[in-house]
Parts: sequence; C-alpha cells; structure tokens
Amino acid sequence: MRLLALGLLVMSAAWAQDCRGLHRRGKLAEARACHSRMAQSGNALQQAEAFWYLNDAESANNFFRAAVKAQPKNPEPRVRWGRFYLERNKREDAAALFEEALAVQADYPPALIGMALVAAGSFDAKSVEFAEQALKKDPKAYEAHEVLARFAIEDGNPTEAGVQADKALAISPEALDALMIRATIDWMEGKPGTEWIDRLNKVNPAHAEGYALAARIFVINRRYEEGIKLYRKAMALNAEYLPARSELGVNLMRLGEEDEAKPMLEAVYEAGFRDAATVNTLKLMDSYKNFVTIKKGKIILRLDKKEADLLRPYFERELERAVDVFEKKYQLVLDRPVQLEVYPNHEDFAVRTMGLPGLGALGVTFGNVVAMDSPSGRKPGSFHWASTLWHELSHVYALAATKHRVPRWFTEGLAVHEETAVDPEWGDRLDPGAIRAMKDKKLLPIATLDKGFTRPSYPNQVIVSYFQAGKICDYIEGKWGWQTLLAMLRDFSTGAGTPAVVEKHLKIKPEEFDKEFLAWLEKSTESQVKGFEEWTKRLRALSADVKAKNWDKVIPEAEALGKIYPDYVEAGSPYEILADAHLEKKNTPGAIAALNGYAKAGGRYPATLKKLAKLLDDAGQPEQAARALERINFIYPVQDEEMHRLQGELWLKVGNTDKAIREFQASVFSKPIDAATSYYNLARAYRAAGQLDQARDNLVSALEAAPSFRPAQKLLLELSK
Amino acid sequence: MAVAAEVGCGLRKLLLLGSFCAGLLPGTTWYITVAGLGGEPEYETRFKGLAAELDKSVRATPDAKVTTLSGPEATKAKVEAAIDEAVKGAKAEDVLVVTLIGHGTFDGTDYKFNIPGPDLTAAELAGKLEFVPSRRQVVINTTSASGASIEPLRREYRAVITATRAGTEKNATVFGRFVVEAFRDPAADTDKNEAVSALEAFQYADKKTTAFYETQKRLATEHPMLEDTGKGTGVRAPAPDNGQGLLARQLPLLRFGSLQQAAKSPAKQALLAQRESIEGQIDKFKYEKAAMPVEEYKKALGRLLLQLAQVQEEIDK
Repeated sequence: MRLLALGLLVMSAAWAQDCRGLHRRGKLAEARACHSRMAQSGNALQQAEAFWYLNDAESANNFFRAAVKAQPKNPEPRVRWGRFYLERNKREDAAALFEEALAVQADYPPALIGMALVAAGSFDAKSVEFAEQALKKDPKAYEAHEVLARFAIEDGNPTEAGVQADKALAISPEALDALMIRATIDWMEGKPGTEWIDRLNKVNPAHAEGYALAARIFVINRRYEEGIKLYRKAMALNAEYLPARSELGVNLMRLGEEDEAKPMLEAVYEAGFRDAATVNTLKLMDSYKNFVTIKKGKIILRLDKKEADLLRPYFERELERAVDVFEKKYQLVLDRPVQLEVYPNHEDFAVRTMGLPGLGALGVTFGNVVAMDSPSGRKPGSFHWASTLWHELSHVYALAATKHRVPRWFTEGLAVHEETAVDPEWGDRLDPGAIRAMKDKKLLPIATLDKGFTRPSYPNQVIVSYFQAGKICDYIEGKWGWQTLLAMLRDFSTGAGTPAVVEKHLKIKPEEFDKEFLAWLEKSTESQVKGFEEWTKRLRALSADVKAKNWDKVIPEAEALGKIYPDYVEAGSPYEILADAHLEKKNTPGAIAALNGYAKAGGRYPATLKKLAKLLDDAGQPEQAARALERINFIYPVQDEEMHRLQGELWLKVGNTDKAIREFQASVFSKPIDAATSYYNLARAYRAAGQLDQARDNLVSALEAAPSFRPAQKLLLELSK
Repeated sequence: MAVAAEVGCGLRKLLLLGSFCAGLLPGTTWYITVAGLGGEPEYETRFKGLAAELDKSVRATPDAKVTTLSGPEATKAKVEAAIDEAVKGAKAEDVLVVTLIGHGTFDGTDYKFNIPGPDLTAAELAGKLEFVPSRRQVVINTTSASGASIEPLRREYRAVITATRAGTEKNATVFGRFVVEAFRDPAADTDKNEAVSALEAFQYADKKTTAFYETQKRLATEHPMLEDTGKGTGVRAPAPDNGQGLLARQLPLLRFGSLQQAAKSPAKQALLAQRESIEGQIDKFKYEKAAMPVEEYKKALGRLLLQLAQVQEEIDK
C-alpha cells in the first residue's frame, strides 16, 4: 500500500512537471488542458498547482493548505504556496511560508530563492544574501542567478545583471528570465535585443511572464510608457496571465488612462485575481466620482469635490505658473497637458501611487501625471503643498526632456533646487539628519548617489540624498550656470551615465567634483554643522530659562542660537522663543523681527505665521500682515475660514481688491458657520473693486442666509440708490 | 444650518402656533451653569474657566437670572437649590438653560455627572427640572458619556444637547469649549436676528468640534447630538426630514441688540408686523427655490430682501 502511494506521488510529480513543461514551452492550450486534468488528480499539491494555473485562487489556496497538512515534513508545498502568494503580492504571507519551509529543511534552496524574491520586492539588499546562500547549497540553482540579475538591473547595475544572467544561462541555456533580463538590458540601452529574444522564442514563444518582468524593470526606472508596451506584449502572448493584466491596469491608471484601466482591472478582479493593488486601485477609481476635473489650456486639475472650490484658485494659479516657468527654463513644451491630482486622503494618494497604502511621500510623478497629498491630508505646518507641486512639476519636465532616462539623483536634485528657486522661503531646510550625515561623512559620491534613493543603507538616507542632490544642483548652477544643468539633462536622455556626463560638462572627474562640492557645502553649512552639538545643548538649557521667565537671559541666547542654526524652524525654534521673550518685555518690534526671521527661514506653522500677522496689523503694517497670512495659503489654506477672512480684510484695507476678493471667496468656500458674514464681506470687496453686480449677488446670498443681517441690508440699500 | 435655512421666523409662526421668534421673545432667561470635578488640575482649571467665561457671556442678556457653580460649590445640593430658585421664580414664558461642564460616566444604567460629593444622575436632574414652570428648557450636557443622558432628560418643549452620541464615548470632550465660544462669538448668530438660539449654538459647537478633530488628524471620540422632540434618541444633523431642531431654533440662549427695544415700542409694532410679513414671504420663497429658475429666484428674492431692508431702516430710525 505504501509503495503504491509513493508510486502515485512520483507519478503526480511527473504530471505536474509535464504540465509546467508545456507552459514553459509556450504550449498554452495543451498546458491548460493538462492542468485541467491534473486538477482532478486527487493529490493536493498537484491540484493546488493546477487551480493556481487555472486562476482559481480560492481552490488553489485550499489545496495548498491541504498539501502542507498532508506533507508536514516536505518543504516543497510550503515553497510553492509561498510563490503563489508572492504572485499575488502578499509578501508577508509568502515570507512566512518560506521561513516555515526553511524550518522544515534548513538551507532548502527553493525556499531561499523565495526569500530572495520577497526581499527583492522591497528593494532589500538581503535579497543578494539569500540568493547567494541558495547557490552555496545548490550551485546549479540558476533561478538564484536570475534573482541576482534582476536585483542588479533594478539597482542600476546592468553590467552585474548581465554577468548574473550569463551565469544562469551557463547552467541552463533555457533559463527564460535570464534571457529576458539580457534582452531588457539591451532595450534599456536602446538596442533591439534580438539575439536574446530569438533564443527565448525558440524555447517559449509565449513567455508572458518574461515580458511582464521586463515591463516591471522599465516601470521601476520610471519609463512607464515603455513598461506599458511590454505589459501589452505580455497580454498579447497570454491573455490569461492575470498578474500582467493587473499591473498593466495599475500602470495605465497611474498615467491617467482610467477609461482603459478600469474595465481591465474589473475583468482581472472578476477572473479571481484580487491582490491588494488590484482591489485598492478599483476602490480608488470608484472614488473618482467624488472628484471634479478642471481642464484649462495646458493643465488638467483633479480635486476632491468637497474642497475643489476652495483649493482651485490656489492650485490652478501655481500649476499654470509652474508650467509657464518650466517651459522657458527647460526649453520644452510638453506634448500634452499636465494632470495634477490632489488627494485629501493620504491613503488614496498612496494607492494611486503604489497600489498600496502606507506611502511616506508627499507627491509622485508618472510622466505627465502628478499625484499629491492635499494640504487637508496632512497636519497644519507639516507640508508646503506649493513647494511639493513645483517639485513634482520639475520631474515632469526632467522626465520628458530625457525620455525618462534621467538618473534618480539628478531629477530629485533639480526638483529640490526648483523648490527654493521659485521662492527662497519654500523648500525643505537643513535638518538635523542631514547635519549628522555631513558630520559622519555619510554623503555619497555623485557617481553612486542614486543608491541613496534606491538602496538606502541607513534609515534617513533617502531624505539626506534629497538634500545632497538638491545642493549639488545648487552648486552646479552657481558655478557653471543653469545652461550647464540643462545640457547635462539633455545628455542623460542619450542614456549616458553620471560619471560621463559630469566629466563632459563640468570638465572634471567625478571624484574631483565630489571634493570640490563637499568643500563648498562644508563652507556654506559650517556654522550649522560645527555648532550643532553645542546648539542642541544650549537650546535645551534655554528652555529652562524660558520656564524660569528669565527673559533678559533668553533674548541674547535665542538670538545667538538662531545665528548658529538659522535653518531650524521646527516647533520650539529659537525664533519663536525670541519672539515670545520680546513680547514678555513689551518689545513688539523685536517680536516682529524674530517672527519675520522665522518666516524668511521657511517657518511653516500657521499659528506662528498668524501671530506675526496679528503683531504686524496691530503695529499698523496691514500690507505686511496680509503677506504673512498669504504664506499660509501655500501651506494650509483649508479648515481655516478665519485666516481667509482676516487676510481679506487686510487686503481690502490696503486697497488690493483682487486679493481681497480671492480671500473672501475662500472664506465662502470654507463653508463657514457664519455664511452671511462671508458673503457680505465678499460683496464689500466687489463693491470696492467697482464690480457692483457681483456685489449685489453676494449681498442677496448673505441676506438669503440671514434676512435680518443689518450691515448687509444697509449695503444693499446703498447699492440700490 | 439646514433647519435655519429652511424654516424662518414667519413660517415657523404658522407651524407652531403661539410661539415667538427667537430674537423678539420677551421674558427672563434662567441660566444654571455647573462645572464639575476635573480629576486633574489641568481639567479642574479648564472647567472652572469655561464656567466663568459662560457666566460672563450670559450676564449680558437682558433679564437674565444667572447661577454659576464650580469647584467645591458645585455640589448636588447647590445644583438642586439653584433649580429650586427657578421653580419658585420662573414663569411659563421664561426659558431655562442648564449647562453641565466636566466629566460624566455611564455604567450601563445611569448617566452620572461628576461633582464634589454624590454625583448627579441624569434621572435626578430630569426629576428636578420637571418642577420648573418654564415651558421651554435647554439642557446642554458637554461632558464625556453625555449621550447617555438624552433618554432620561428628553421631554416635550425641552432641547437636550450632548457632547457625545452615547454613554460609551468616555474620553474627555472638547465640545464644551466650543459651546462656551458660541455664547460670545457673534458668528454663532448665523441668521443675524440678534439672538443665538440653541440650534445655532449646537451647530456652531458641532462644526468646531468636527474641525478640531480633522485639523488634529485625530479620530473623533465625541459626536455631539441634539434632541428636541421629546421622543427621539438625538441626531447629529437636525433637519425637517428628521423632525429635530424646530424647537431648538426657537430657544434663545442669548439675546442682544436693538430688536429687544423695538419690540417693546408700540410705535414700531406696525413696522415689525410688516417686517415679519416680508420675512414670511422670504421663507416661503426659499422653500420654493428648487422649483424655480435660478435667475427668476434671485431677482424675486432680491426684491423682497430690498423691501425688508427698507422696513428695517424705518424701524432703526
């Protein structure tokens, strides 16, 4: 009996291999028929494999569970189940199964390869360790070389990717993914890749998985349109390969092609492929009914209905302004409008971007489409939306100028540079993380700066790399001029690497550049970097003096600390302490000067800026007060009707009726408790601007809400005379 | 806001015979404000401060009778004594406003307002209020778990406002802060009739509470409710379709301005009647808004509003 069972098992294993073999050779109809038969085999593992192939996820999952239960000492069912989960982007579940398999059999190569794939999915360098471990145990595990090749190409190292792909092919000339990675390397460099595709086609002319892999690599390199073409090719070869169809749908959605994406993802969902990215993206697209789309000339703006009226004037103006400026600066007219999508719910933005929630970024660019957080999606003062908008718009131009071939560090550096180029008060400040990185000599050479973004080796490195890249662009512009940056950008479009571009345009070796740049950076940040430790200690001591209300001691010390580290504008900054101390000493001009320093240094807390505005207004400087409040429009123009109302009053006071109208309109669109007063104020502004019909209309609105509103009645009578 | 926009003073008069417009209502308003135990110095100071602030605001109302209890004074006996005073002195046309500030608890059966000495249950408070002759009453319970007090306190001609939806919302609330703000912020008088009604105060504080949690990016742990039919469980958005808010709109919490004087002048009665007639037409008009072309509506409404403004100008002379 036992022998019979063993015989059946061997037979089933051979069956599975046959079915899989048919698929590997591109005989899809035969493979499907084979798997359909195998689904009736009575062997849980084979049935799981069969249902997986036949896109019946629920049955596959059940049979995998049964297979693991039936063969507790066999790591294979766990590994195959893990691969099934991996295909559905359930990386945590997959990792748990691979770990279980390794607990059953230590160093089991397929499980190690599974772990390598899980790590590669999150761009984790552990992927290499797992793959090498697998090769140590089984030097013929060519799939491990394929994983290493994939990791290398994603890491921007096509040479190493080629080496690893060749090693896989040396072990198995039919290593399909290795052939595809070889072809992808060629394609990314603009070569036809014919040699590899010919070889691939001889083995499997319908290798949809391979084209999906190539597509993924293009997408990771932000070459979305080429990626989409490859996904389409994968679909043409095997329409039933649902992961490719799902990814195609998600990427079409990213590029704003919802009309095609939605039915595609719905079909994927109906066919049983329901990974988080598919489901979340469908949910997000359902929520688009809550958005309004504004098409105007070169821009398309998508805003959530509940805040569209309020945000539109601000976003529309900045978007149009950015397009105008960048067209001239980058000497480039885009071939289609820029689309900006603004998400009040950060998780919607994350899904829009990654297909999954949990993204830390504020904005993301996909070709001509930019998605970003709405100011209402973040805490007041934590986010300068206008700065983010200009940052992302810069990516649109850098990507278009280079056909998406720009290195990550360069496009991010330009984007950071643009934030402060548009307004020195915008952009991020030198933060303690960057100071520590400079002190610890953790800045990367220009030639490998991309790794700081794609393979960070310490927690804060991505943020530090943004800072470094931005400073590099500042430095190049300062020393060589904007035209040099533009020439470098154009050269990147040819696929040239950073070292070659640096040498060609800056006429120095990258290593020399690093030395000169670091010397420049050190000089420009000297007081902040060298004085940081002392500053930290003294700021701590200062808070004790504040508590003790020792204002005569606080004032000079806060002034001194502000000079050591002027970029520090977070909560409890020396600027704010100094202002408070001056106020305690009844020195309003001193407080105003301190808070002006805060605003000019990029301070973003609305409450602090409002305090400055109040002091300025009380001091008889209404225009300056209005400007102080106007800064908040670029930070947190939402949920603050009072700020818009006060700003409107100030603009009206100084005779700037356009801005008064804008702000009183914002007050109306903030859906205030006291709608009558908001309409009345707007009527006053229109009247001051000589637009009497609009003034009357708004008075009617005010009195519709509150018919007995005396000031509105009086103005209506006045206008009716 | 929904009710305020749709049911105006004139039309309301048709709906509820014998009632008065909020701004013109004569009579005394009896205010009993109690700040309960804080438990911690921070809350103690906060509750006491809010009660003091409210006390200051309500004293500006003409014909106000004010009792404010806080700290060790806020005992059950003192609360009952304050109510007894209203029992003796209040008339049927007077308004009674009871405001509770502090912490509350709900044990599944009874809601309790935490005060020095024995706590005050909602049922005990309801029992005492039954003897106050004022037909129209408002209880504003801004404490944690206050939602549980709706059922014992509700009755005809009484509006009950709570900071929470149920007794299970146990965290300290911010609603009270905004209720007190409604008593001093002219913006709370959304219909500009020189009185802040219970409905306006509720809507003001509710909106501010919502904005507070949204701005802080915190999950809201309180959901204010209003019940003024005497038989409901309370709603967040009073409106004609749920029948809530009609009484609250007529209950003035705070009155101010010159209309009070005009109402007392016989010479102005004819103009006031004319004013009320136009207001009634405006209300009727607003009801018909959806059925009218926008431009036609705006023109006709504009004409009526101009007439109203002219009459008001005469009244103000």
